Amino acid sequence: MEFELDDEQRLLRRTVRETVAKVRGRPEREQWATYLRLGWLEAPPLELALVLEELGYAADPSPFLATATWFVPLAGRLPEGSGTAVFDGHGRYVLDADRADEVALLTPDGVTVVPGAGLAAERIPVLDPRLHVARIRAPGELVAGVPDLALTGLAATAVGACRKVLDLVLAHVRQRVQFGRPLGSFQAVKHKAADMHVAIERARALTHFAALTIAEDDPRRTRAAHMAKAAAGECQRLVFRYGLQLFGAMGFTWENELQYALKRAQACDLLLGTASAHRKALLS
Amino acid sequence: MMRLADDPGVAAFRTEFAAFLDAHLPAEAEARERPRSSAHVPGWARRWQRTLFDHGWLLPGRPPEYGGRHATLPQQLAHLEELADRRIYHSFNPQGLGIVAASLLTFGTEEQKARWAVPILRAEITAALGMSEPEAGSDLASLRTRAVLDGDAFVVDGQKIWTSGAHDADVLLTFVRTDPDAPRHRGISALLIPTGTEGVVRRPFGSIAAEDDLDFNEVFLTGVRVPRENLVGPLNEGWRVANGSLGHERTLLWLSYAERLADLVRDAAGRGDDQEWYATLQMDLQALRLLGHRRLGPDRDPAEVSVLKLLGSEAVQNASLHALEAAGADALPHPARTGPHHHMNNEDFVSSWFERYARSFAGTIAGGTSEIQRNIIAERLLGLPR
Ligand SMILES: Cc1cc2nc3c(=O)[nH]c(=O)nc-3n(C[C@H](O)[C@H](O)[C@H](O)COP(=O)(O)OP(=O)(O)OC[C@H]3O[C@@H](n4cnc5c(N)ncnc54)[C@H](O)[C@@H]3O)c2cc1C
Repeated sequence: MEFELDDEQRLLRRTVRETVAKVRGRPEREQWATYLRLGWLEAPPLELALVLEELGYAADPSPFLATATWFVPLAGRLPEGSGTAVFDGHGRYVLDADRADEVALLTPDGVTVVPGAGLAAERIPVLDPRLHVARIRAPGELVAGVPDLALTGLAATAVGACRKVLDLVLAHVRQRVQFGRPLGSFQAVKHKAADMHVAIERARALTHFAALTIAEDDPRRTRAAHMAKAAAGECQRLVFRYGLQLFGAMGFTWENELQYALKRAQACDLLLGTASAHRKALLS
Repeated sequence: MMRLADDPGVAAFRTEFAAFLDAHLPAEAEARERPRSSAHVPGWARRWQRTLFDHGWLLPGRPPEYGGRHATLPQQLAHLEELADRRIYHSFNPQGLGIVAASLLTFGTEEQKARWAVPILRAEITAALGMSEPEAGSDLASLRTRAVLDGDAFVVDGQKIWTSGAHDADVLLTFVRTDPDAPRHRGISALLIPTGTEGVVRRPFGSIAAEDDLDFNEVFLTGVRVPRENLVGPLNEGWRVANGSLGHERTLLWLSYAERLADLVRDAAGRGDDQEWYATLQMDLQALRLLGHRRLGPDRDPAEVSVLKLLGSEAVQNASLHALEAAGADALPHPARTGPHHHMNNEDFVSSWFERYARSFAGTIAGGTSEIQRNIIAERLLGLPR
């Protein structure tokens, strides 16, 4: 096995980070158009995971995650515009269903793609102000069958969001002084930061591995996707607790951009089964 | 490059080594005498190590005269993976091979390599590592054992502790203070001290597992005269030797944790009612292997190895604790067998779950504790102030 990102992949990561920072604050349509123009939707699984990590880092508000990792693996093609999919058998919490142009439905007879507008999707208010989650009323019977890529995509997004939390925490504890010293010089703080780092590295490695097994259609791909989703969930649990705690009251405010990364990471764990569900799946 | 398959050069290397192992592994009957300590190597194990040395399969990254074949780092990893998969060791004197001989090959003179390193590699002699002292554990740079130059010899006075296998070793790589006036890290030197030298007293003592499990030693050094030519590396540059030798050792050290985790995956399957920890164990093993492979690049930061050590040693401890709890009172009888018989390292598995858990603390304490690894990660990788 070889497991080192190459120069092109590193460059892609940098490009995504810079592009996302540049279009931040622009109208959502414009952001989305930029992502499409750069061909990110067509990226192969590993590159897609890198893109999603960066979008997670930025707590990106676009429907990219649902389009690339929910719609595409089910429909087997790119949507007209944006897309999402219903593969949980009921359609109670569907990412971006309120705004997707096309929705792929997993039914007993296979996959059907319908226009999003026809599903009477209802956006559900959630804690994360940038996240779109909706409930749909299915036109017929639905069945469950979660694609490996959907789990991997949520894991990659969570990993990126966790890295953002850690970066914000590091910047904060380096500059904030209490008791005459930067907070980051206290060992209780250092050890939490180190544990966050290790948890992120672990989850990221398993996420890249899951993407790689999908890219090579390796027989381990479903197990790898469960591992990635579980590891990302475990990671966000630690990073959320330590990250918010180490910011003190500053982390408890609406103004702080920490909230977006925290909420994105936690939402990625809650959607399509938390860490515990995926650990159980690994045992069966 | 990211791919599941080995690079062709690594794949061919792996196949060749696997064939060698199949042809040369010691037979079960031969391997009856067991090692008593980490520097006691029974005759059959010496012959085994010598065979590896002669065929360039002992330390494949080294040139042939040192038991290697100029292998690349990914090939060296494949070599250790093949050994680990079969649960066999290339040497039963791991610190002699991995730390003492490795330091000599990096820092030693040609004479030192011929006089000490090659015999260690050929399993003709064994070695132990004398770093820690009663007052210098994590804070190694505070070590006090003194060495004073007197003509053509150093005279050494002081005490080492925890020196694994010292009572069975022929030579100690010892870190001593040669300049008490210099800043702490600058006044340290590395000396080879043959254990038969007058004034060297070794007292082995039991580990947590058993009073007669003798690997730990106290080593008392009183007026020990050591020839000047036994100085390893330049005078007062022992700190560099210490970091270099441990650094070399650490690059692939994570594999020993991966091996332990793989043992646990095998031995702890299906234990207990709530088995989510067993899934976590499998994830830890997979993540450790992935990160271990990722750390092979030339631009690797040495501090990255701390991530692997912390992740691996803590994962072993967590999983051992879960396996212990799953066993409940069945973990009490001791000794007990919790793993399959393997003739080359049978003692690893003649261990109750209680003992396996207790032994997992060697991983989180020796070679830099988990707390020290967290300090390194926070300060060197994450840039937090000291
Ligand atoms: C099985 C085994 C084999 C060994 N073999 C050898 C050998 O062959 N040769 C040799 O020289 N040594 C050997 N050692 C010794 C080993 O290197 C030391 O145990 C280790 O460096 C820790 O030192 P210490 O035990 O004195 O603990 P201490 O340094 O006294 O630490 C005690 C506790 O305090 C914590 N602590 C210390 N400093 C800090 C800090 N700055 N920040 C936060 N927490 C801190 C530690 O993490 C630990 O939890 C061996 C140890 C073991 C367990």
